[in-house]
Amino acid sequence: MKRASPIRELFDYRDFLLNLTVAELKLRYRDSLLGFLWTVLNPLFYLLILSAVFSLIIRFQVPDYPIFLFSGLVSWLMIQQTVTIATASVVNNQAFLRKVYVPKLAFPVSNVLARYTDHLILVLILLVFLAVRGAPFTWSLAFLPVAVAMHFFFSLGLSLLCAVAYIKIRDTQHVVAIVFQALFYATPVLYPLSLVPDRYRALFRWNPFSYFVEMLRYPVYEGRFPPGRLVLTAAGLSLAVFVLGLWTFLRKDKYFVFHLS
Amino acid sequence: MEKDISGPAIRLSSLGLRFFLNVEKEIDLRREGIRVFRALMTRTRKSEFWALRDIDLEIPKGEIFGIIGGNGAGKSTLLKLIAGIFPPTRGTIAVDGTIAPLIELGAAFNPDLTGAENIFLTGSIYRIPRRVIKENFERIVEFSGLRRFIDTPVKNYSSGMFIRLAFSTIIFFRPEIVLIDEVFSVGDEVFQQKSFEKILSFQERGATIVLVSHDLNLIGRICRRALVLSRGRTAFLGPAEEAIDRYHELLRRGEGLDAGNGARSTAGADESGPAPLADSRRWGNRRVEIRRVSFVDRDGHPAAAFAPGDYFEARIHYISKLPSGERPIFGAAIHTAYKMLIYGPNTLEGGPPEDRILPASGIVRFIIPALPLFRGDYLFSASAYDPSLSQAYDHHDMMYQFRVLDGPTREFGCVRIQSRWDFEGD
Repeated sequence: MKRASPIRELFDYRDFLLNLTVAELKLRYRDSLLGFLWTVLNPLFYLLILSAVFSLIIRFQVPDYPIFLFSGLVSWLMIQQTVTIATASVVNNQAFLRKVYVPKLAFPVSNVLARYTDHLILVLILLVFLAVRGAPFTWSLAFLPVAVAMHFFFSLGLSLLCAVAYIKIRDTQHVVAIVFQALFYATPVLYPLSLVPDRYRALFRWNPFSYFVEMLRYPVYEGRFPPGRLVLTAAGLSLAVFVLGLWTFLRKDKYFVFHLS
Repeated sequence: MEKDISGPAIRLSSLGLRFFLNVEKEIDLRREGIRVFRALMTRTRKSEFWALRDIDLEIPKGEIFGIIGGNGAGKSTLLKLIAGIFPPTRGTIAVDGTIAPLIELGAAFNPDLTGAENIFLTGSIYRIPRRVIKENFERIVEFSGLRRFIDTPVKNYSSGMFIRLAFSTIIFFRPEIVLIDEVFSVGDEVFQQKSFEKILSFQERGATIVLVSHDLNLIGRICRRALVLSRGRTAFLGPAEEAIDRYHELLRRGEGLDAGNGARSTAGADESGPAPLADSRRWGNRRVEIRRVSFVDRDGHPAAAFAPGDYFEARIHYISKLPSGERPIFGAAIHTAYKMLIYGPNTLEGGPPEDRILPASGIVRFIIPALPLFRGDYLFSASAYDPSLSQAYDHHDMMYQFRVLDGPTREFGCVRIQSRWDFEGD
């Protein structure tokens, strides 16, 4: 069958994509009391717990620790939550795949779009949090949309790769969860890079997640634009992972149906 | 709407679809590792299975085209290829027009969404603009007859309601090509008739319809041409009446009734094997186990097809673990291809006398001296129950299939009812 370019095709199916995204958002809270509020409450409680542990019990010597932590945490959650959930997006929709023709790309993309709706709210809370703490709003905050866009493409690319792997090997989901757990501590979310002993620094330079953390931490915590070299590295990373994910996914997607039960 | 009548709606050339039988559904790393290692050592090829092979077919616009064949012949698979669900291994598929696959209706529904939300979701799967769905919304709800439940999540629908909503939704978007796979077997009679008329009205407007059905009468009545599939290959392609004859010929030669994914015949390869293990069609505690069921003719030869008036015998092979003296009740049932029960007798009525001891294993024979059924496919159930009929030992629900070929008759329907005519003046 002649196939339009996949991106063009996804555009033709934009209503479907939108319906999937909306359904995903709607259904999550349909039977809950607090509903959408959980999107806000969940990370807030997480933040509260972490900042209590690390500023009251284990005392990191970081000024304005809650803002430092929150900015790093938002970056981390934007990637970790997205990928963890989107890994199963194709398999969870196998009823569709086996019975009608739809572009497979719609499943991970709608999933990631739904997550980023949540994440935008998270970023807004971050800004409110800044205001409440009396931190100054600087021009550097204008960098936030760019930073979020980088996170978006990076996590979409990763999601596509993990989704393909998950279709073939169902262990992927567990591996992804464990890898993220380890990476959380290997990424300077809880602590500043300056606390890391010199001989481990190289490890952090090779951890792509630390670049994304910096993309939020510079404008939010330090109140200045991130240095150009860092921005280029992060942008390059997100583009590369996105293209790799898209390419891998589209090369395999018509055979997915043979791997679903 | 202007249509280009010239080109075909569907063109398949040397189409083939191959499955690898050992593509595991769930793979774990350990097993995968061993498999890779073995593959490196032995270089054996995976066992492959061609579900379809060398299919060449052109369906002009506006035609009602039928596909017939036994279970596992590849009929549904062919529809799924045309719908784009499976990618072809060989050959090409060219489709001109929007396709509405009525293959597994409502499969694309999200059970947690309401009926109304699913109408929009389904519409978007077929790339119907939101505006058009809105315009048709009222009529869809009206046609489905589900107005009261339209804001209820569809997981609370009965299966009939589910199908009605799915069908109503798809049918209102004027598809140019409709692929139908036995959808008329569900829903109530009135709705079936309504849907059927709706589909025929499409054809009047120039839509192309591809119909897979076990109902040969239906195929013969509405299709101009038909394709007979046998084990994934074209056995015949041509005028529908001729196709049906060819199909009967195949059946008489014992072909085409392969054990498939659905109902099973007792002919050929299935003959010696034990009964298939548990699936949704089989239940019971197995204190009496039905091992297999076979159909035989008057001479005791295995048969899969009968003529009206023929001697019919079903042999239910069983093993009983009951203490001697306890006797199960055996039951049989005959259903139409649409799963409607025609007759369901058991050994409480007309069974062997009470004092006869039942051997621990053996055969129960269910005999119809003159089969009162007409042309069509029939499903057969066999069961063993406790004497109060409350406890299933083993129930095989519609797991077997036989066929009745047409004989000389001017009667219509599926079953002959003892009756007579009489005249009387005023």
